[in-house]
Amino acid sequence: MIETPETDKAFKKQIKTSLEKDFLRKTLNNFFTSYRQSRGNVFADLDLEGMREDVACMKDAGIPNLSELFDEFKKNAEAAGSIVHVARDAEEANCIIAQIAKENQVKSIVKSKSMTAEETFLNDHLEKDGYEVVETDLGEWIIQMRHEGPSHMVMPAIHLSRYQVGDLFSDVTAKKQDPENIEGLVKVARKELRPKFIGADMGISGCNFAIADSGVIGLVTNEGNARLTTTLPRVHVALMGFDKLVQDYSSAVKILKILPRNATGQALTSYVTWIKGTNECATAPEEKKIQHMVFIDNGRLELAKDPIFSQALRCIRCGACANVCPIYRMVGGHTFGHVYIGAIGLILTPFFHGKEKAREIVKCCLNCQSCKAVCPSKIDLPFLIKNVYAKIQDEDGGKPFKTRMTSMLLKNRRLFHTALKTASKMQGPATDGPYIRHLPTFLMGEHNFRRLPAIADRSLRDDWKYVKPKVKNPKIKVALFGGCAGDFIYPEHGKAFAKLCEAYNISVDYPMDQTCCGLPTMMMAQMDTAKEIALQNVKAFKSGDYDYIVTLCASCGSHIKENFPKLLTKKGAVPADVQAMADKLIDFSSFMNDVVKVKAEDFMNLGRKVTYHYPCHLIRGLGVEEAPMALLEKAGVDFKACDESQVCCGFSGSFSVDFPMISKTMLDHKLDNVSATGATTLVTDCPGCTLQLKGGIKARGMNVTVKHMAEVLLEEKK
Amino acid sequence: MSQGEIIESMRARAEKAAAVVSSAATLEEAIAYAVNLTAEEGGTTLAAPGMDDAAREALGKACGEKGITLLDSPLRDKMTRIHTAFTWADRGIADTGTLVLNSNSEELRLATMLSETHVAVLPTDKVVPSMDELEGYMTDHFKNGAGYVAFITGPSRTADIERILTIGVHGPERLHILLAENLDGGEK
Ligand code: SF4
Ligand code: SF4
Repeated sequence: MIETPETDKAFKKQIKTSLEKDFLRKTLNNFFTSYRQSRGNVFADLDLEGMREDVACMKDAGIPNLSELFDEFKKNAEAAGSIVHVARDAEEANCIIAQIAKENQVKSIVKSKSMTAEETFLNDHLEKDGYEVVETDLGEWIIQMRHEGPSHMVMPAIHLSRYQVGDLFSDVTAKKQDPENIEGLVKVARKELRPKFIGADMGISGCNFAIADSGVIGLVTNEGNARLTTTLPRVHVALMGFDKLVQDYSSAVKILKILPRNATGQALTSYVTWIKGTNECATAPEEKKIQHMVFIDNGRLELAKDPIFSQALRCIRCGACANVCPIYRMVGGHTFGHVYIGAIGLILTPFFHGKEKAREIVKCCLNCQSCKAVCPSKIDLPFLIKNVYAKIQDEDGGKPFKTRMTSMLLKNRRLFHTALKTASKMQGPATDGPYIRHLPTFLMGEHNFRRLPAIADRSLRDDWKYVKPKVKNPKIKVALFGGCAGDFIYPEHGKAFAKLCEAYNISVDYPMDQTCCGLPTMMMAQMDTAKEIALQNVKAFKSGDYDYIVTLCASCGSHIKENFPKLLTKKGAVPADVQAMADKLIDFSSFMNDVVKVKAEDFMNLGRKVTYHYPCHLIRGLGVEEAPMALLEKAGVDFKACDESQVCCGFSGSFSVDFPMISKTMLDHKLDNVSATGATTLVTDCPGCTLQLKGGIKARGMNVTVKHMAEVLLEEKK
Repeated sequence: MSQGEIIESMRARAEKAAAVVSSAATLEEAIAYAVNLTAEEGGTTLAAPGMDDAAREALGKACGEKGITLLDSPLRDKMTRIHTAFTWADRGIADTGTLVLNSNSEELRLATMLSETHVAVLPTDKVVPSMDELEGYMTDHFKNGAGYVAFITGPSRTADIERILTIGVHGPERLHILLAENLDGGEK
């Protein structure tokens, strides 16, 4: 049975248990690395972006018309002898299928893999009615016998070791099976399940696409069990969500070209099976298969009308959003999801299985954008996750005290900034240089994995009048977006930027009405506050006639560029001033490299050993990959490449406070990799990452200095 | 792409998907290949749905010489005994190394799903560059009511235990493709 924690305490306990499972950690670590490689290889010579765009557009065209597509499908399928049903919810789908079994005097049922059947808990229902139901996909069969839910959409038994499978199969066959012989274990399934296929009266399959203009369904599989399931028994039932409907063959091909590649790194699965109507079947009456198609709604048709969430119906269930998720990598699918797991699971769970099952897991997202970057249907998963979180909080009424406080404080810039200043004075005796020496008690315990920075004595805004570059006839006019951490914790980043600008004859303004970008409020799902703060910032930057708005914080940058327009859309349109701010926004590295076009001869060659950490919001949020590498090359450093340089450091603002155990494990990975490079300077482009990395390095006592790119360039500047 | 390049891609991709690719110039050669392979593997039966009478006769003779039983319809009685399935392929898809089999016939489905080894003869002029070019074929196929089409790429496989790729779960453990120029001999 699937048990999903419904309280904070239970969830944290489960996280802790998962983190302690050595096999799980090792296997998911390997998977995390090898998936990226095989995906990279299989798309190497293809137009991946074009293919993703094709799927997203095709799906978007279909989603508003699911009912029409269904009518067309039904007409065509029924003309070929199929019987087409609609189930409003899970219970109804299960009853329809049980009824089909009853009418046809079915005793035993074989099933091929179907996530939709997992969604409805179909097996439980049929077993309760007295039917023998056997899963025939190897992974599904294993977890069925272990009474577990899938821990991955494509590889349901990924959490199990060969030894666990070996033990299970020894029991099943009443004969000792050698766990080291995986081929032998696979043959056990072949041998044990053959008689089940041959003896079954009914086969239940899922469906990867239902083609409206022909009434054909398509099944994408590797093992060959779906072919047997749809061929041997006299009755075939296909269960599918309304979202599986597509217009025509060419739409299906768009999915087919990307699904196996993105799921398992295969150009195509071993089998793609296309079925229409009542095919030959010697054991059925009139030698024609009894064929039923069951379409389940379960909230999908409502979802299709939702301006934000309808995107979720683009999902083609490739599982990739789990494969690249650093949280999934740490804790696995039984902790990071309910029935549907990974990023899409966080989104679908409240709609399909109720908010109780989603309340805790939905908090556990870093907003690292990894899922979004690989989704073949281009679903904006992190944004939808935050919206689900907001929806649940709204429905629950009262928001947590901490959330309300933060929200209130952040909405009022003066109050917020005064609070920060007061904090900087109050912390006096507790700080040890730039680190907080004694954590306030509420931050003790699990947070000791890194040293937290102190708030600077003087913020960037306090000193701006001295810092502001003195230039006449500037060649470029920019405004600086500081961000909270850049303003109050690491003002030295902004100061370095100002000095560089002075050297390159660039004027810089620091509009004093700017405030927190609002990303932290969105992370806490305070969408209203996030909107309000976004507006304050748009106003603060509106009057200046700037060529660019530069930020040294990749997180603020990607939030402004991507989320401001989404948050502030009015009646389907983005207001001009909002769009202007988003358009002018540029990150530091891109600005220096692509706009200022700094040259190698501008820099001394100090020859220090440097490695780089890509902030999530730079590489995936803003899509910047080359600029930092180009700058480091121009600066003439001795660059040491770092493994997993594009993987999240585990900071993600309040996430690291809410889920310290996950944050710590991620930071450990990161610092192990940094350590292995032998570099003495670790460069990045985000004060949030700086905070996490510096804190971890200090706690570990590593001999590595963390610097913002702006500081490095300034130090290297001739 | 020339047809030669298409065939080369078909061969390379199919091999990458763990299929064995050979050529057969005549039907006799294809039959000899399937029969010899069966014997080498220690198999004693062969099912060949979808072959025309002439092909069946030649098959029967070749099987007889090697002590192999050519299974008759209906295969439902012999589901646990099919060693080799010998069939035509309807189309080939070059960029994925895929075979396309018209699987309307239940006999053909049983043979290709339950056998240990599947040997398929693929006429080279039926190989198309990608799935896109099959639109017309698929439309025609499903135009008149019920139908069943199989795209087959390599043998049956799984990675469900520790993600270790293992060949031969529920479908054939081996797939052999015989590229055949100018060959005909059954329904396609
Ligand atoms: S944004 Fe990152 S942490 Fe959140 S679901 Fe996506 S991959 Fe996982
Ligand atoms: S949301 Fe995207 S990445 Fe995740 S399973 Fe669906 S299609 Fe794949």
